[in-house]
Amino acid sequence: MGKKMILLGNEAIARGIVEAGCEVACAYPGTPSSEILPAVAKWADELETKTVVEWGANEKVAFEMAAAASFAGKRTCAVMKQVGLNVAADPFMSVAHFQLKGGFLLVVADDPGPHSSQTEQDSRFFAMFAKVPCFDPSTAAEAKEMVFDAYDLSERHGIVTMLRPSVRVDHCRQDVELLDVLPIERPASFEKDVKRWVCLPAHVKINHPLLNKKNDAIREEFEKDFSKYNYEVPAEGKASLGIIAGGISFAVVMDLLTSMGRKDVSVLKIGTPYPLPTKLVGDFIAKHDKVLVLEETYPVIETQIIDRSKVLGRLNGWVPRAGELLPEVVEEVILKALGEEVVSSSEEEYLKKALEELKIAPRKPMLCPGCPHRASFFSIKQALPNAIYPSDIGCYTLGVNQKTVDAVIDMGASITQSSGFYLAHKVDGAERPIVATIGDSTFFHMGLPGLASAVYNKHAFVLAILDNSITAMTGGQSHPGVGEKLRKEDEGRRVDLEGAVRGCGVKWIKTVEAYDVRENKDLVKEAWEYAKANKEPAVLIFKHPCMLLRVEQDKIPVKVDQDKCIGCKFCIDFFNCPGLVFDEEKKKAYIDERFCVQCGVCINVCPHGAILGSNGEEA
Amino acid sequence: MQYVIVGIGGQGILFSSRVLGHIALSRGERVIGSEVHGMAQRGGSVISHFKIGKYSSPLVKAKEADVLLAFDQNEAIRNLHFLKRGGKAIINVHAPEAFENESLKQFLKGRDIELYPIKGYEILKEHMNGRFLFLNVLILGAMCGAGIGNVTIDEVKKAIEDLAPPKHIEANLKVVDLGYGAMAK
Ligand SMILES: Cc1ncc(C[n+]2csc(CCOP(=O)(O)OP(=O)(O)O)c2C)c(N)n1
Ligand code: SF4
Ligand code: SF4
Repeated sequence: MGKKMILLGNEAIARGIVEAGCEVACAYPGTPSSEILPAVAKWADELETKTVVEWGANEKVAFEMAAAASFAGKRTCAVMKQVGLNVAADPFMSVAHFQLKGGFLLVVADDPGPHSSQTEQDSRFFAMFAKVPCFDPSTAAEAKEMVFDAYDLSERHGIVTMLRPSVRVDHCRQDVELLDVLPIERPASFEKDVKRWVCLPAHVKINHPLLNKKNDAIREEFEKDFSKYNYEVPAEGKASLGIIAGGISFAVVMDLLTSMGRKDVSVLKIGTPYPLPTKLVGDFIAKHDKVLVLEETYPVIETQIIDRSKVLGRLNGWVPRAGELLPEVVEEVILKALGEEVVSSSEEEYLKKALEELKIAPRKPMLCPGCPHRASFFSIKQALPNAIYPSDIGCYTLGVNQKTVDAVIDMGASITQSSGFYLAHKVDGAERPIVATIGDSTFFHMGLPGLASAVYNKHAFVLAILDNSITAMTGGQSHPGVGEKLRKEDEGRRVDLEGAVRGCGVKWIKTVEAYDVRENKDLVKEAWEYAKANKEPAVLIFKHPCMLLRVEQDKIPVKVDQDKCIGCKFCIDFFNCPGLVFDEEKKKAYIDERFCVQCGVCINVCPHGAILGSNGEEA
Repeated sequence: MQYVIVGIGGQGILFSSRVLGHIALSRGERVIGSEVHGMAQRGGSVISHFKIGKYSSPLVKAKEADVLLAFDQNEAIRNLHFLKRGGKAIINVHAPEAFENESLKQFLKGRDIELYPIKGYEILKEHMNGRFLFLNVLILGAMCGAGIGNVTIDEVKKAIEDLAPPKHIEANLKVVDLGYGAMAK
């Protein structure tokens, strides 16, 4: 038996990837998948494999890099979050048809809830859409084991294979067994073969039926040879209810049945939701009067069931159609399916009342104290208070707290929305200031095509690139604008942000220190005047390192002069720093030293000069 | 044993469950737990579930936790429903008046829940120069001092020695004692 260690689900998956002999690993960060690639690097170094690990500029880039490495015969993987697969959908759908050479594992992390995403989409549906086999782990340990089988399946059938952990598997911590590396000696050898590697329509006509055949064969295997992932936990005696459960929902159901003391419920676990082993499922259903299907977040197993006459699930309203299947939710669904009453306790009412009386609500996320984005947003709002503020995905989406984020769709859409807003007003002969905000990582991810398009079509708006030298929201990964690679010792080269912007044809471009809120306010105005006069985007790069990078900076202790503060709440409404809070009783702002990091920016925020640097700095 | 650990993003709550996990593993027990990463880490409410024993799911169900460790009193009150009847909570308190609330008292009485308040910010300001990131070990020490949570102070110290960066071990051990002392008094 191997050594046991407590690992994060994502570290376990990474360990599996290295143990399985993956040599090329590519990703773009995104919660809840971000820890996988760094852990691949860590394990590879520890186990002394040659595995290369790289962040692509976006998920499509990462997917295609990994795909081609498979064409050359290497075991590869691409890792992303669920919405990342939307970006990589194009190559995913196409590559699904290929007869691959090296094993290709696609890890897509889903986020039911959602906790950190713009959708709750279910990637197993994407697997079904692309006709690609999918593994759905219930625990960290199982996820690691599935990596091996996914590679094996991928190589035997020449097909890309999906592992779909959801957030509770990615971010669970569990004892996991460690093994050694599978010895695979396989030098890169790309054999030219147009029929195999070029997706011409004529080739698809051959490959699509072939893909269907692979699906049939894999379904057969899932019926018979994968009882370690697809198995029944029978009831004692006659079952009052059957439950089919996949992914984390299976784990939740098992703990629930134990704590509820129910022995009259049998459970069929499904670890391979696509292609569904329909015979196995059909036999299970045949044995029961009614069967509840529990899976997150879409009815993927359920829709594949051929005869649903005894099935209780999402399609007929027995299971909530949105949100996470938390233990409390599942308990209620099970009791309902058993025809039993759900009892609520009276004590719970006291707690609810206490929360109301004490005005306690969940704490909303906020930009960190000292965050440069807060300063940038403040300058923008002060310069052009009536502008439309299209924004983007990153820590700076929290600019909503400062009322400087008006519309967000997905990564890169700050720029393209600015174009759309511009056009909507242009057709009326009208004009309105527009200031878009985008992070540096997001700019390299999907900002460039939008900017080139806006220059080409002559759209007037200000683009503020918030350059904090990091991909912060997802925990601090590097990106092309940083230059440093995932493994610090690997050589990378920084792509110059200003140069990239200039290369898109932008003429007005300035890089500023984000903390200089007064000067920057004037520059935002100037940028808009230029954009308006010349009918083209003007770009301001607000530069200052993210607090996560812990770059040394001057410490400027601040205090709020209680006589000068008139209680207007301007600083709370438009600056919104956790270090600056409002005393509702005294009607004055004060510094909360538990959070303040003494960045000193707020000195320039109070219109009444009430925020002072303790060293005498004044606005 | 089932633990729920709550706080505010940035307070370093994840280290507490790592310590608990390390202790359980060295005893040869099985562990599973759930953490929060991402958006909420930016100063939002964060929660970590941790279970020692034969469990499959990383999530603690409402009314099943044995112990609640709270780095913030508001987060504590918001998550009291996780505690089972007779459950116990260590709470870092900054505004003790809140616990005078009658409805809250009724709830606690009804569920037979025992609270162990600790003035973490005051203690760390006085003894650790206001380095509030030590809250996690302070609370672990307090848990041992209160005699709840089913781990001993020696186990906690051993785990910290194994897990903390070498240059911070000494300070961490000092804070564990501070927490222990605050409760044992
Ligand atoms: C398609 C897609 N991939 C990944 C993510 C996860 N994600 C959220 S924000 C973000 C980037 C944040 O970096 P940056 O733009 O530099 O802003 P910062 O957080 O540093 O302020 C990423 C990768 C996502 N939401 N969508
Ligand atoms: S992590 Fe960095 S970018 Fe994100 S809120 Fe904190 S300081 Fe700002
Ligand atoms: S100095 Fe002001 S802006 Fe900076 S962290 Fe402290 S309260 Fe926030």
